[in-house]
Amino acid sequence: MRDSRTLLAFRVALLWAAGITVLFPVVWVALASVKTPEQLNDPFLLTFTPTFESWRNVLSSGILAAAGRSALVALVTVGLSVVVGSMGAYAIARYRAGGTATRFGMLAAQVLPPAVLVFPFLTMAYALRLNDTLIPVIFAHLSFVLPVVTWFLIGFFEAVPRSLEEQAQVDGFTRFQAFRLVVLPQVFPGIGAAAIFGFTLSWNDLFYGLILAPGKAAILPVAIAGFNTFRGVQIGSMSAAILIAVVPVVVASFFIQRRLVQGISGGAVKF
Amino acid sequence: MATVRFSGVNKSYGSTSVVSDLDLELPDGSFTVLVGPSGCGKSTSLRMLAGLEPVTSGTITIGDHDVTQLPPRDRDVAMVFQNYALYPHLSVRENIAFPLRASKTPRTDALRRADEVAESLGLEKLLARKPKELSGGQQQRVAIGRAIIRQPSVFLFDEPLSNLDAKLRVETRTELLQIQRRLGITSVYVTHDQEEAMTLSDRMVVMREGRTAQEGSPQDVYAHPVDTFVASFVGSPKMNLLDGEVCDGIFTLPSGFQLAIGSFDGGGAVTIGVRPDDLVPTASDGAGDARVTLIELLGPRAIVTIDARGTALTSVVETSRLAGITEGAPVTLSTRPGAVHAFDPDTGQRRAGPDNDGNRSKR
Repeated sequence: MRDSRTLLAFRVALLWAAGITVLFPVVWVALASVKTPEQLNDPFLLTFTPTFESWRNVLSSGILAAAGRSALVALVTVGLSVVVGSMGAYAIARYRAGGTATRFGMLAAQVLPPAVLVFPFLTMAYALRLNDTLIPVIFAHLSFVLPVVTWFLIGFFEAVPRSLEEQAQVDGFTRFQAFRLVVLPQVFPGIGAAAIFGFTLSWNDLFYGLILAPGKAAILPVAIAGFNTFRGVQIGSMSAAILIAVVPVVVASFFIQRRLVQGISGGAVKF
Repeated sequence: MATVRFSGVNKSYGSTSVVSDLDLELPDGSFTVLVGPSGCGKSTSLRMLAGLEPVTSGTITIGDHDVTQLPPRDRDVAMVFQNYALYPHLSVRENIAFPLRASKTPRTDALRRADEVAESLGLEKLLARKPKELSGGQQQRVAIGRAIIRQPSVFLFDEPLSNLDAKLRVETRTELLQIQRRLGITSVYVTHDQEEAMTLSDRMVVMREGRTAQEGSPQDVYAHPVDTFVASFVGSPKMNLLDGEVCDGIFTLPSGFQLAIGSFDGGGAVTIGVRPDDLVPTASDGAGDARVTLIELLGPRAIVTIDARGTALTSVVETSRLAGITEGAPVTLSTRPGAVHAFDPDTGQRRAGPDNDGNRSKR
């Protein structure tokens, strides 16, 4: 009895410690966004009169337009990834398309540093007069969102019994109809999770946006980085902008947390 | 409704042959059961007929149409899978109506017909449920409903009863037979269960290693098995197959155990087959060669296992005739007149047996 109580107390303490560790930066950022520049010099200052100067500053800086562009990039990227990725994942799951090499290669490509790919993207964007527009950013984001979404969905497609689509074929449908009317509905939860996961990947990317669209078409992370001015980092404003960027991701993660594990482990290479 | 014909159908994966030279004709309206141990090619044959497996060589026709190269949707067949393959995202009503969507039937008509079919199967209270909210038996009915709604040329069943418990299996079996008789649609049914094959089929095809071992009415296959494989596969409990010698109506096992088998063509080395029902133990007071080792009561009948000088024999006895037959008791054995099958001891092919037509009794 006493043992289990000690254990319980230990567990609770551990969870609290983990929770505080994770939440501390968020709390710090939230506090920083409502402090004056002078108060920012005292990180341990917890009681003060909040000021919304930083928020006013941020909201008038066009951050919402940048957030809108980020959302647009993420939605287009995810839309394309889900359409192409679900078909790709289906092919890999059902027909072992490309064998083990495909699955492994898809994941291995994630190891490539973005710096390797960004220069070709930039050159192409210049050549097509598309630099500082959202189009090269979308394509750059596709380079890592599409493989991840595809990978994510393989396990979900593998879980659909083959007899379901065979049944649909015998019932009078073409293979593609069987895929669309019978197989796809079974993986909708997976597609939803993959979409949200892909959205956060695109939404959080700074690097490609910074190089491919640094100016008028800046996406949200680039706009946030913009608060690092030649006069120094505007910590208050940046904190407010960071909160704007973080909230959608936190909300999205909450909805997909259970499917996330299934998806990430689902595409695992099986020998 | 149509006659189904397999002509010289082969199926192989690489160098592994799964089905060899399959020639079958399934008459219009017949109920044919393909039966055999696992890996005998029965499921593959069914899937080739459905169009789910390509044929390596040979042709398959349904009615007048050569369907060998047609995709499943153009073959006008309906199939019930072992796991029922109900669409999990659709309700019972939508599942049953689903095949009509392919033929572009207006939705209201399709749903109305689904309701009619559901009613004929006693599913009318479950129409709005999803498959996962149904019991195994109910799922089975929905799968049957989905198969019959389109009135296809051919019904295909791939071990549809094997996921049900024993009682439900027997009930559903009867029901399936009634539906097939009512609709008169040519049906092909695959099972590994010989009892299911015997009760359902009007034509039974016993398969072994990708080939047809024997085809015919279940009565015929039971009464005249062509070889020891069919003899031991069909019938429960299994036929007693014994290697030994015959001389003057007396069969002698290598152990020296003797069994009177009555009038018998030919002599010498032979494998005899005696159905358990045809092997009659009688209580004996002397210290005989045979001894009862086990009695399993089935109600009106009992399975009696007998040890005959080291050879285990099975007999089925009516419970009322068990007097004096107890576990450990000595018995004398006899066979019913004319009930002994004879097989070639080397090839296993049938040599002679009860009610045999003259041209097959001697070789």
